[in-house]
Amino acid sequence: MNGGHDLGGMHGLGPIDPEPDEPVFHEAWERRCFAITLACGYLGEWNLDMTRYARERMHPAKYLATSYYEHWLIGLETLLIEKGLVTEDEIKRRMGEIGAEESA
Amino acid sequence: MRVLKADDVGKVLLKGGPARVDEDIPARFRPGDRVVTRNINPAGHTRLPRYARGKHGVIHRHHGVFVCPDAHAAGKGKCPQNLYSVRFSALELWGGDACARDSIYLDLWDDYLDPA
Repeated sequence: MNGGHDLGGMHGLGPIDPEPDEPVFHEAWERRCFAITLACGYLGEWNLDMTRYARERMHPAKYLATSYYEHWLIGLETLLIEKGLVTEDEIKRRMGEIGAEESA
Repeated sequence: MRVLKADDVGKVLLKGGPARVDEDIPARFRPGDRVVTRNINPAGHTRLPRYARGKHGVIHRHHGVFVCPDAHAAGKGKCPQNLYSVRFSALELWGGDACARDSIYLDLWDDYLDPA
């Protein structure tokens, strides 16, 4: 699809500037997101190409404004919801609970 | 549904998810063949980037038979196809201001290609 992921030839994003000694994960949540994505993939409800397509279907403006593992997280949520494994309400409710715990 | 147990994680990760298919499908192209990419704009997943559609290139090498990602992402099965590394000159992709020495190699499936 002609989505926000298809960046070849796009101007204005700045130089490609590789980080020296880049860590595998920059934040603890990224490690968790990676693990949950692999564990959910093992359920066998979708394949690798479907995970790529789920990320590509993000709104292009949102895709360009979010990080690599945010794409993973949003793509995973899309697949979990589409396959009926969780609902959007369940995700929102749990986000609310975590937010309340953290601000308590 | 399969459940990934903690003890199996290492084993599963080592195994990976190979996309190579053990099927003998005659290749449409050989290294050195001139090809032109199709101008496709599917709403589904594809590995043919926008900047390389309708462009002329040369088959660099033949990788073998692989799962077709377009069909696979759409839940239409593996639809195995031959996969090639195709060389495109920067001049062909980006026009006369590009560096004449530069090339880009893309891994492309049979369904993206026509003989040129």
